[in-house]
Formats: sequence, structure tokens, C-alpha cells
Amino acid sequence: MIKLKSIENRNYIRRNVILILLLILMIVVISLLAPHLVPNDPYETNALYRKGAPNLKYFFGTDKLGRCIFSRVIMGTRTSVFSALLVVTASLTTGTVLGVLAGYYGGFLDRVVTGICDIFLAFPQMILAIGVAGLMGGTMTNAILALALTGWTTYARLSRGLVMALKNEAYISAARLSGSTGVEIMVEHILPGMAGELIVNASLQISSVMIGFAGLSYLGLGVLVPEAEWGSMISEAVGYMQQAPWAVMAPGAALFITVLLFQLLGDSLRDYFGVGRGGYE
Amino acid sequence: MSMRKYISGRFLQLIPVLLGITFLTFALLSLAPGDPAQKKLSAQGVAVSKEILEETRREMGLDRPWGLRYINWLSGLIHGDMGNSYKDGTPVAGKLIKAMKYTGILSFCAFLSALVISIPLGVYCGVKKNGVFDRVMRWFCLAGNAVPGFLLAVLLMYFFCLRIQAFPVIAKGSVKGLFLPTMTLALPLSCRLIRQVRASVLNQMGMEYIDGAKARGVLKPYILIFHILRNAMISILTVAGLSFGTLLGGSVVIETIFMWPGMGKLVMDAITARDYPVIQGFVMVMAVIYVVINLIVDICYHLLDPRLEEI
Amino acid sequence: MGGSVSTILNIRMMYGEREHMMKKTMAVIMAAVFLAASLTGCNTSNSFGTASTGQAPDKKILRVSESFALQTLNPHLDYQGWYTSIYGVTETLFYMNDQSTLTPLLAESAKADGTLWTIKLKEHISFSNGDPVTPDMVIRNLKAAGEINTRFADFKDYTYGVMDQKTFTIDTKKVYPMLLNDLASPELAIADLDHSGDMKTGLVATGPFVVSSFEPGGTIEVARNEQYWNGRAKLDGAVFYYMPEAGTSMMAMQNGELDAYTSVTSDAAEQYRKEPDKYKLTTIPATRLQFYILNENRQNEAVRKAINLTVDAKAIEGYLNGTVSETVGPFSPTAPYGKVTKAKPDVTAAKALLEEDGYTLNSDGYYEKDGKVLSIKLAYYAARSLDTLAALMQEQLKEAGIMAVLTCEEDPDGTYIATGDFDIGLFCMIADKAGDPYYFISCTLKDGAPYNCGGFQNEQVQSEILKLETEADTKERARLADQIIQTAIDENAFGYVALFNKITVTRNGVREVAENNPFDFYFLNADTDMD
Repeated sequence: MIKLKSIENRNYIRRNVILILLLILMIVVISLLAPHLVPNDPYETNALYRKGAPNLKYFFGTDKLGRCIFSRVIMGTRTSVFSALLVVTASLTTGTVLGVLAGYYGGFLDRVVTGICDIFLAFPQMILAIGVAGLMGGTMTNAILALALTGWTTYARLSRGLVMALKNEAYISAARLSGSTGVEIMVEHILPGMAGELIVNASLQISSVMIGFAGLSYLGLGVLVPEAEWGSMISEAVGYMQQAPWAVMAPGAALFITVLLFQLLGDSLRDYFGVGRGGYE
Repeated sequence: MSMRKYISGRFLQLIPVLLGITFLTFALLSLAPGDPAQKKLSAQGVAVSKEILEETRREMGLDRPWGLRYINWLSGLIHGDMGNSYKDGTPVAGKLIKAMKYTGILSFCAFLSALVISIPLGVYCGVKKNGVFDRVMRWFCLAGNAVPGFLLAVLLMYFFCLRIQAFPVIAKGSVKGLFLPTMTLALPLSCRLIRQVRASVLNQMGMEYIDGAKARGVLKPYILIFHILRNAMISILTVAGLSFGTLLGGSVVIETIFMWPGMGKLVMDAITARDYPVIQGFVMVMAVIYVVINLIVDICYHLLDPRLEEI
Repeated sequence: MGGSVSTILNIRMMYGEREHMMKKTMAVIMAAVFLAASLTGCNTSNSFGTASTGQAPDKKILRVSESFALQTLNPHLDYQGWYTSIYGVTETLFYMNDQSTLTPLLAESAKADGTLWTIKLKEHISFSNGDPVTPDMVIRNLKAAGEINTRFADFKDYTYGVMDQKTFTIDTKKVYPMLLNDLASPELAIADLDHSGDMKTGLVATGPFVVSSFEPGGTIEVARNEQYWNGRAKLDGAVFYYMPEAGTSMMAMQNGELDAYTSVTSDAAEQYRKEPDKYKLTTIPATRLQFYILNENRQNEAVRKAINLTVDAKAIEGYLNGTVSETVGPFSPTAPYGKVTKAKPDVTAAKALLEEDGYTLNSDGYYEKDGKVLSIKLAYYAARSLDTLAALMQEQLKEAGIMAVLTCEEDPDGTYIATGDFDIGLFCMIADKAGDPYYFISCTLKDGAPYNCGGFQNEQVQSEILKLETEADTKERARLADQIIQTAIDENAFGYVALFNKITVTRNGVREVAENNPFDFYFLNADTDMD
């Protein structure tokens, strides 16, 4: 009975993951095809319809320059998704490589990596990001760099711990005895063993990076006007929220939904791989 | 005996981390593009000529090697000297200390509110697991975690200040004004804590001593408060302590939106004015605060953990 | 295992130390209450007290927002005098009235004889501490400002002389007809240097108000100067809140926390217009100019002219919705100088020019020559609506087949203005500082001037600028200025887009906040009043 239930549960979790993945795939497709999907030019101004309410031509209305908010939100998907993926890829690769090397070889290298990690961990992420972006000047590249600089430690710590646990497993020792080099063992045996944990973390990081990125843009430290980005769109539209609430609500909702989806993905993947501390269950 | 040893050990561990923090923040400044002397002069609105530039470079010690400059800066730091603002020449440390009071009040209120909100709600969700309220809260918490702080701030401000005009826009100056920024910071944190409280309560409820207590006929609320919550508190405090970093990060945006004269507001003004020493000082002080809070949480954790008390 | 240890502990508590536990709990609760109490205690006392004075019902206190906060009170430093003047604390020897005419204030009269100026002060003028304003103190102020303010550096080199108790002289050494306009600059405010300390937190001056509470970088409060030499201020005082974000000012105004402020954004103005029974909005053309520099080193005459023909200032004015007025030249249309003309926007003519120059339209709708698209770099910074202007210009240029690539810099003076790395460089500055064209002309058109960074060179203009510097006759000055600006327009070296309006919003019942004066640096004065 108990076994049956757990199988049922597992199917449920799998269905969940697939559903969320499909929704996310949709967002990614939207961001890839953004320039072809927009009904209007997201940068084209319209003097006759400024702060206009949503209608059939402008699904989400227009902003104070008469630009189509729907088109800008769609274009913003691209900025948001790609910057988040870029940050996560960069921090995942750097963090994992350093963590695996430190965990596998131990000794001096391990102490150096752990030390650096500890120092970076001493900074609250958003604070360091604001500091870096503030010092280097607010551009999209700098915001991405700032977030990647603070994101890699999670992976380094995680992968180091996992490698330490894995490296004494029998199959690893067997591989070592059969003459595999260190690099081979790490790539062929250790990395696949920890893929689940890393993927779960990455999907959770995507959502926090998206919030962080939008926050930096809101503060004027990320994407700059007139480029379409959700955070900067909100920041620009707050001034006339009473006259055109849709100019804040539309990018706000887009950001909220995307972040929520990636968080749900992280949660369901965690259940699926059965890793980490328990979620809500 | 073990406690004292533990605490002193943790303090010793702090030294390399603090050194690392100073090193990294000092290195951060070299990330800033362009010549610092030029930046300083343009922040002050001084017309830049070659002689003035050379003189300023000498004054700022920029002609000396990088390592030596770091050591000089560090020794100043130990004496509480964090350099002077490019903009008005006043000491950075003074500015930060003044603003720290406000950030402290705001974060403390937010932290306290988050605990006050999340503990009863979390316990209730745990006790009535999978009830209607629990299910609603689950989605509420998910949503709360996905709302960026700035969006929440803007929405709250729009609704409470403009629509129903219940709260002042100028937060500083009244207790009432503190309410909205506090809530903006506290709500997302509460959403995270409710999940944690619920999980800890469930975890504790599954333990045998609860059954024992129940069997002896001890009243239910009593068990809840004195047994379950006390033990759950340990993990709640840990998560809350770790969330403090997010709280500090969030305060930058919130302070800017609500015009709260704390450190976040200070650093945003400094960024606009390209006042690099203030930005640098801000990053460092925030890191130190964060590290110290984590240390306190760790020590509390050890104090609260009954296992250590017994052994 | 953890469970069993806890069990032991809990059993121990249950059977012997319940009382002890209760005591502990009580202690924790008491500590929390104490903390909360001390917190609210500090909320109501010390620096949290600003609201109470701001809301006192029986006193007339005007609540205002400012987008800039002073770190020190020294009016001579940078542009700080603008703010001490706005606060109604400092005054100058002369001031600019609502018609931009120079009018004596602390001074009674002035006359020039070559390079020697004789200035007579009014009788009975005194500082807020009752001390009389002496020629000696005025001279010390002018010298002090010259020492610390590069824009007034000449004042440290002039020679001064005290004639009698109310009269003094300034020898400018070179003929300098603009001296009195300089003396109307708020940076040359007259303060009691002996009783203001280092002017960091204290300032004794001659205005109708005195600083009663000053928080560097934050709120400033002023109270009536009971010993004001020129009557009695109608208000009891005012509070100036620091609000860099225009959105916050609007919300605070609507929420009833402010009574008046200037630099109202177009969004906010739209909102206030909807409620005329509550707010009064005053819009007058002011002196802040949005313009662009065309880089002659990088683009030829045809392209520059095409750009000037394409940029439609009227349309931009429409988009900026009442915050700016389109302009032909850099100065207000009502000023006696700067009467210039420029061609009406004409996209067809612009296209014809480009085609004549060898450009052909490609399939994307952009012009190209030798396989290279006509792509121009438009540099700007995100303040004073220049970001909006940049986006609008990009759109307009697209119409004419010119691709504009936007580059946003945070610090224009340190980047594109200094390096010349732009095709179109946007900038915004006060073109008319003190009722005279010379300042703007000398810093944008003179050889080697900081904003002459687009390669503008013209021998005749240079000699005209030299003449303008020393010409004393107002009519001749105006003629010279017209000629110089017209040349800059004809050579397509600059494009003057719009002048910002000074927009003041006041809650109904608030009067006389200098809302009809085109200069930004006047606000609070003795006549300011509220119901």
C-alpha cells in the first residue's frame, strides 16, 4: 500500500515537472521569437495615444511616449531570460569547476577555494551586486557580471561537498584503479552523480537572478532606457501610475509569473530528484 | 567549557574572513573605470588640469604601489578611518554610522514583524496540515517569494498612500510612516519563514516525546508552546539569521523608494554622485554586519541546542 | 537520537523546572516589551520630531520638497547658494525680477567708470543677528566666494576699496560689463562670516528666514527671521524635504504632506490639472536648455543639416507634455538677445540632401553609402528628460533613414563631452544664468570651451565673442549675440531643441513662491503666504 502510494506520488511529481517545463519552454520560445511576435515596434512612439488604455491594437495599453507595452513586455522577456541564463551558466560553470577541483584534489587548492568562497559568502548577494554595479557604472553587462560574481559560491560549496562524499565511493576507487586520470573520473563519474543537485540549484538561482536583475534595473544600475526591460519599465512608469496603471502592472505581472514559474520548477525538481531539504511537503 | 571554546574558535575563524572582506572591498574600488583622482575632482566639480590631477594623485597616494596602499587603507580602517567622501570631504565612517541607525531600526522592525507574522501562521499551518488554510498559505507563500521587493513597495505605496491615504509617503518622522517600509521588507521574509516554521513544527510533532506528553495528558497548547515551538525555534532562528542578508540587500531598494535615510539610501545617493569611498564603505560595513549576525546566530544556535546543554 | 535527548530534557523540565521555565519566559517577554518601548521612545524623541513641527496647526509652516540636499550650508560653494536662496535664507546685492531685469536688493545703486565700479549699499540692512551689513563684510564675502568657487574665481583677483560706511568699489581690471549680473548670482550671497562658524551647520545671513534645523543631506527647516531688514515674513517657517524622486513628491503632495514644489514632471502636472480645485499649477518658460552638439569632425555638412531638418522640436514638446517649450535659439523668446531663425523641420528635404550626398536607401529603410549604413552615435545622459529626448530623436531620425545608436553615459563631462566620441551629443544646461547671453556663448562656442567639443571653428565668431566680452552697450550686445548664435545654427554645429518650463504646483491658498520668476533659485520669500 505504502509502496503503491509512493509510485503514485512519483508520477504526480513527474507530471508536475513536465507541466512546468512546458510553461517555461513557452517563455523561452517567446523570448527567442520576440522580434517576430510583437504586434507593434516596441520602440515606436505614438503621439496620439500616450498613456493609452489597453485596446485591440495595444493589448496592454501604451506608456507615456505611446509605445506599445505589450510589445515591450515581450521584448523584455528576452532581456530577462537571457541575462538570467547567462548569469546562471557563468556561475554554474565557474563554481562547479572550482568546487570539483577543490573537493577532488583537496589540500592547498581546497583551502584556497574554500577561503575565497567564505569571503564572497560574507557579502549579502544584492549588496555586493549593488556595490559592483555602482562602482563599474550601470550597464547590462556590469549587472550580469555583478550577479555572476556573487552567484558562483553556492555551486562551489555544493559541488565540493558532493565530491568529497562521492570520491570514496567504491565505483570511483574502481575507476581510479583501472587507470582513469583525475579529469576523466571527474567528468565521467563524479559530475553525472551530482547533476541533480546542480540542476535544482540552478533553477532556483534563475528566479533569484531575475529578481536581482530587475531590481538593479529598477535602481538604474542595470538595463538603461529606452531598452525594454521589466525592471526599468516599472521604474519609468511609477511616476504616472495613477494615469496608466497598466504600464506598471504589465511588466510587473510578467516578472512575477516568470519568477514564480522558475521557483515552482526548482521546487518540483527538488522533489523529483529527491535532494536537499524538504520543500513544503 | 565546550561553549567557551566554541565561541573563541568562531571568533578566531572570523579574522581571516574579515581580512578577506577588507581585501575584496579595497579591490572593488579598482574595478571602477578611470583614474580615481580624476573621479574625485569631477565629483567635487573642480576643473581638471594636469597639475591639479598630479597633485591630487599624490595626495591620494595613487603613486604608491597597490599593496602599500591597501596596507595604509587597512591601518586607517583599524582606527575607524574609512576615508573621506569625494563629494563633500566628510568622513565616510560618520556618514555610515548616522545612516546605520535608520537601517538598524528598519531591519529590526522588519525582522521582528516577520517573526510575529510567521510563527503563529506557520504553527497553525503545521498543526492543521493540508487544511484549507494551509493550502491557501502554501500558494500565498509561493507568490510572496516571487514578488520583487521594489514591486511590492510600489504597489503598497500606491494603494495605502494614494488610494486610501492611510499612511504618509514621508516615512521618516513618524512611527506610522515606518509601517509600510517595514511591511515591504517583512512580507517576503515571512513567506520564507512560514514554510520553515511549518516544516519544523511537523518535524517536531512526529517525535516520540510529543506522544509521551500527550499520553500523560499534558494540555495541547502547552505542548505546542513549550515543547514544539521551543525546539523548532532553533531551525527557525537559523533560517531567519541567514535571511538577514536578503533583508539587508532588500533594504537598499526599500529605503530608496520610501525615502528612509538609511545606508541603502546613502549608497544610492553615492552611486549617483560617483562617491566611490562611500560605496566602498557601505559594501564593507554591510558585509561585516552580515558576518557578525551570522556569528551571533551560530552562537545562539549552540546555546539553544539542548544536545550541547546535556552533554 | 536528537529526539531521545530532547525527550530527556523535556521530561526534566516537566517534572521539576516548570516554574523555572516560566520565569525564563517572563524574562524574555519583558525584555521584548522593554525593547519595543525603547524603540518607540526613540521614535518620538530626538531626530524623529520633524513631523510635529511640520504639522503644528496654529503655525503657518510651508512644507516643500527639493530634489537636492545640501551637505553644508556654505552658499559660496558650488551651486549651494541656489538652495540657500530657495530656502529664503540668503540674499544677494542684486536680484533678477520676474521680467528677468536686474534689480537692486541689498545694494542701493551701482555705477561704472571704466573698470571701476562704485556700489552703494542700502541703509539699515542687517543680518539676522542684528549686525549691520558693512561694505567690508560684503567684500570679504565676494573674496571668499572667489576663493572656493571656480566659476567666480575672478572675484579673488579684483581690487576692492571701502569708500564710506555704505559704499565700496570693485576694480575689475579688464572692462567687464556683466559684473552686476554676476552679483545677482545666488552664489555671491552675503553672509555674516564672523558668526556663521565654518558655515557647515550654521549660517547667519540677511534673508527673511533663518535656518532652525539642518540635517546634512536631508531635511532642512527654516523659521521667520524676526530681525529681517525688509519687513516681516508672513510665514512662520518652512520645511524642505529632500526628495530626489519626482514620483515621491507627487505622492506626498496628493497625500497632503506637501504644500508646494517646483520641477513638477509632466506626469504629475497632468494629474494636478485634473483637480484644479485643489492645486494651482504655474508654468512659465525658464532658462534651462535642451540642446545637442553636432560633431563636425565626424559628419559632413549634408548629414548634419539633414539631422537638423529632421529633429522636430514641436513634436518633442508635445511628447514632453508641457514640461518644455520648443525653441529656436538658446534663450527665452522674450529676452532681448538671441533673436535667431532656423529652417522648419522637413524630412523630405533632409532625405534629398542625403541622396545628393551620395546616400541611397537600403531595404531596411536606412540610407547607406559604399555599403555602409548611415549610423550615427547619439550620446546622452539619463537626466533632465534627455533619455526621452534621445528615444524621440532616434525615432524621428529613423523616419529620415538615419540610424541612431544610443549611448547612455552617467557622466557626460567625463566621457563624450571630453573625448568628442559622438555624432550627436545631447546636453542640458542653464543657458541664461543672469540675464545675459555671454556665459552660454563663451562656454559652447568659444575656441577651446568645454562644450565646444564638436569641432566648431569660425574666425569671425571668435572675434565677435571677444567683442561681446567687453561690450557695454546692451543693444550692441544683443546684436552680437544674435549674429554668433545664427552662425552656429547656419553651420549646423548645434541644434537647440527646447527650453524647460519652470512648473510650480501649490496647494490652493499658497501664494508667492516665486512661481512667476523664470530663475530656479528663487522660491521662499517674505511675501510667501498660505491660508
